This record gives sequence, structure tokens and C-alpha cells, in this order.
Amino acid sequence: MGSRNLFVAAGVGLAILGGCQSAPPKPEEMARTSLQTAPADLQLICANAAAGTAKVDSTKVLPTSSRQLDAMSYSVDLDAGGQKFNCIVDNNGSVRSVQPVA
Amino acid sequence: MTRARKLGLVMLAAGVCLGPLVALAQTQIYDAKTKKWVNYDKKKARQYFARNNQLPEAFRRQVVPFRTAEKPGTIIIDGNQHFLYLVQPGGQAIRYGIGVGREGFGWAGIVRVGRTAEWPTWTPPPEMVARDPNAAKWAAGMPGGPDNPLGARALYLYEGDQDTIYRIHGTVEPWTIGLDVSSGCIRMNNDDVTDLHSRVEVGAKVIVLMQGAALYKGV
Repeated sequence: MGSRNLFVAAGVGLAILGGCQSAPPKPEEMARTSLQTAPADLQLICANAAAGTAKVDSTKVLPTSSRQLDAMSYSVDLDAGGQKFNCIVDNNGSVRSVQPVA
Repeated sequence: MTRARKLGLVMLAAGVCLGPLVALAQTQIYDAKTKKWVNYDKKKARQYFARNNQLPEAFRRQVVPFRTAEKPGTIIIDGNQHFLYLVQPGGQAIRYGIGVGREGFGWAGIVRVGRTAEWPTWTPPPEMVARDPNAAKWAAGMPGGPDNPLGARALYLYEGDQDTIYRIHGTVEPWTIGLDVSSGCIRMNNDDVTDLHSRVEVGAKVIVLMQGAALYKGV
């Protein structure tokens, strides 16, 4: 193999390796806590949905905890005027379910 | 079993029980040089600020997408992620970095801005006076100014017509933004709290989200 071919092969190899690395986060996303809660806007979308389900004024619905389920969705626990609910919401802000918790 | 050994076991148990909780709340920043997430504690934060004279980019004021039914002017505080959002029209919010209550001092709820002040007087609450000698000497009130821990502006949070004793305020320790450091107040750097103060109206709704809160207000 000539030196030119070697150079091309090395370049392809590096490109493949580069493709395997995960992209760095955007500058505005370069901070987090190890407590991986749902983004605030998604928690509030769930609070709004739970207010409708519970028929409670939305000013009385507060997300109390949340966690990431997978790359696309979050689970949010809510208190709606004393009633407990669980909500599943996806990254696009679509509420998949709102269920009372016994 | 000796008393000292019993005490040691109790402390060990407490350490085991509390350890994961403390670890869960660890702030991390992305190191672009090593391409790794690294822990960001008070010491590292102070070093970063001394080196760069500013906060990590994520904690600086910026406009971000924010999907919400809350009306513009509403303040939303994500205590776990150390961000304060001021809702703007068009699905956006201004995001500011904040410092929040340390372990046991976090709270959540739905309150409102009851009043605001420029270069506010700081009067430590009786419980802080009781536990902190530095606070005790200002029990009658510390006048506003560059050394005042409330910083340049304060937004006083009310539950109905009742002062919650919690505030959103500036700080003389800007490197603490992004950390769990306060006694329950929300701290911002002075430029940011001045900007927020200029945009917020008395009466604005404030939603405080904090997983693991020790206290709930207004709900």
C-alpha cells in the first residue's frame, strides 16, 4: 500500500472513531446535577394536565419529584391539592398519561 | 459496647444513609478540554470564578426555549438544576443561574412576589441569629450596600399576604451560583438580580420546584 493510501485509510479510521464519540452538550447545557430531574417546563406541562384530570385549580398543583425514564420521556409525581398523581411526558412536551396514585 | 463505639456506629449509619442523598444532588459541569462531566463544588466554583471572573456558561443569563401555559412574567425556579426562568412571550424564557438552599433547607411551592427592594437591608431571621454568630451581630438589621449578603436587589416572596421569609436576592459570593449553599433563599449574582428586578412586577407568580424539599409553601 502506498503512503497516499495509508494516509487515506488513517483518515477514514479517524473519521469512524470520531463518529463513535458522543457530541459535547451545547454551551447552555454544560451544567447539570447528578439528580436527573425532568426539565422544568415538562414538569409544569404535567402539572397543567393533572389540574385538568383532578379538576383542581392549577395554582394548587405542584410537581414533587421527577426522573428520566428513557431518552425520550420523563415520569413526574405531582400533588394536586392533596391528591397524588403520576404523569408521563415526552421530550416534545406531549403528555402520554396522567394517573392517580393510590 | 462503649459509648464512643455506639456513637461511631450511629455516625457510620448516618453517613451510609445520607451519603447517597448528598451524592445525588452533586452539581456537575462539562469540561470541554477533557470532554468529561466533573463535579462542581464550592472550592472548584471559587477557583473557576477566580480564573475566569465569570460563571460557567450554563449559569450565565440567556434566552432559552420554554414550553409553558404560564403567562409571561411568571418566575419558575428549578432548585435541583439551579436555574430561574422568567417566562417570556413566544415559548421562551430568560434563564438565570441561581444558588439554593443546602441540604435540609430546600423548599418548594407556589408563591408570589410581595414586594421588592433596591440595596435591601438584611435582617437575619431569629433562627439564623440563634445558630450563626455572624448573623447575630446584625439582629437589628444590616444596611444595604456592597457587603450586604442580600446584594443589589431583593424580591420578597409572599404566601397570600404573608411574608414567607424567603427571598430572591443578590449575593456577595457570586461563585456560589450553581450550588446548594443558602438557608433557603434563592441567590443570584448582582447583575442578574438587577436585571430580573427590572423586569418583574409585584404580584408575579413564583413556582418553586425542588425534589426532596424539606418544606412546602402555598400549596
